[in-house]
Amino acid sequence: MSMTATQASKTTSKSSRVLRSIGFVAMPLLVIGWSLIDLSLGRELVEWIPYLASGFSMNILITICAVTLGTTAGVLLGLMQLAPYWFVRLPAQVYVQIFRNAPALVLIFATTYIFPFEVVLFGNYLPFPDWVKAVIGLAILSSAYIAEITRGAVLSIPTTQWEATKGLGFSRLQALRYVILPQCVRRSLPPWMNVASSMAMGTSLASLVGVHELMHAATDASTAVRRLDFTIIAYVVVMAAFFTLCYPIARLTRRLERRFNTG
Amino acid sequence: MQDMNLTSLFIELMARLGLNYEFLATGYEAQIWRDGFLTTLYLVAVTIPVSLIVGLIFAACLTSNRPWLSAPVRGFVELTRNTPTLVQLMFSFLVLNTVVSNMVGGAQNNPLSPFFWVVAVVGLHVAALHAEAIRGGIEAVPSSMIEAARGMGFSPFEIMRYVQIPLAFRSSLPAIVNGLISLVKSTTVGNAIAVSEITYASIMVWTQRDNVVELMIVLLAFFSLINFVVARVGSWVERRLAIPGYGL
Repeated sequence: MSMTATQASKTTSKSSRVLRSIGFVAMPLLVIGWSLIDLSLGRELVEWIPYLASGFSMNILITICAVTLGTTAGVLLGLMQLAPYWFVRLPAQVYVQIFRNAPALVLIFATTYIFPFEVVLFGNYLPFPDWVKAVIGLAILSSAYIAEITRGAVLSIPTTQWEATKGLGFSRLQALRYVILPQCVRRSLPPWMNVASSMAMGTSLASLVGVHELMHAATDASTAVRRLDFTIIAYVVVMAAFFTLCYPIARLTRRLERRFNTG
Repeated sequence: MQDMNLTSLFIELMARLGLNYEFLATGYEAQIWRDGFLTTLYLVAVTIPVSLIVGLIFAACLTSNRPWLSAPVRGFVELTRNTPTLVQLMFSFLVLNTVVSNMVGGAQNNPLSPFFWVVAVVGLHVAALHAEAIRGGIEAVPSSMIEAARGMGFSPFEIMRYVQIPLAFRSSLPAIVNGLISLVKSTTVGNAIAVSEITYASIMVWTQRDNVVELMIVLLAFFSLINFVVARVGSWVERRLAIPGYGL
């Protein structure tokens, strides 16, 4: 039995290795092959590729901004949740509980419709673009997730570490800064990457509030061309783009998880 | 009449706090909004069983020794997990739905509604998450248990049915509950294809009334409540199913 089990895991690992390479190659190959077979379709696609690419750069921009903002706020909130004073702890806990359960789409709608379309700064009217609002919406969500990750990671550090810092005369903040948090980074890296990849996928929701990103670009393109085969290929391109963005993150996460579990 | 008074009392109280819930007194908008809540609950209630059943089937395929069974499912799981639900939904609705329409001869004959596509896409997306969780659980079943079952003359299907799945289900339950919570949140993508769930209904109301903050408070409370109930039911099931001494 154990032999067949190892054999099975060997075959599945081999097939997954094959699939891994197929995953990256299959969709682009489908797109290229199809455009070569039907040249008129290929010409349309080549014409629209720069437009789609400009949309995708917006996705990447939103992802990077939202994850950066969310991580900064999330780590602070996570530490606030562990603070010894209730007036620091309670607001952070309420914030995390409310926003962790909220759908990304609802938060994006909230920020888009609640914030004004321009802000007055020292008498100057500055536009407040929709993509920044989407960034804030996603950052709120990711900060709630990352707060929980941070809290879990800090709690998973053995209490002896805290006691040792106390023995060495560290203050609480110094202990966090120099002893506890460096150890947390390693533990919270895989779940943090999961959040990052789900934020990258969440950026497509911004198309629903009119941000010009990949989904929006694909919808524009398919309504302009009005061909069913072009619609199919445009959405395959969209899927391939998101897949190439998120799949490496997922693989790396799984590898790190396995290494931390064994190590 | 009593109900009417309660509503107007609520509107009055909220108006003192500076919140505008006046639309509740009107027939039409309040009706849209109430239907939105019901649609979301209905959507969740239909999608959860779909995701669980399909997830179980996927997990069985993933752990099977036959590559022609496990490889396509593995590919599908990786694809759905690494592309946004919204893109999958738009692809299904704009492409697959059109293909179905062409096959049955015109959109008026197409039996598949937007509601169906939301259930199918969100259900399959979350099924992929469940499948991974259950697969992890199946692989965590000690091989001595399987050997014991084999020694007692269980067929491979019976081992699956009576040994692996019950144990795997228990150990993967926390991950499944997480998946269900993300399912509840994912049902909101339905508003992209005009399924009148609660966010869609809320947009209908706030474009008329400009009371986004008020509706947002209710939306956040509503989703917190559903997710709280899902998490509670999950931990209740976990406690009910716990096997003393098995350590799960």
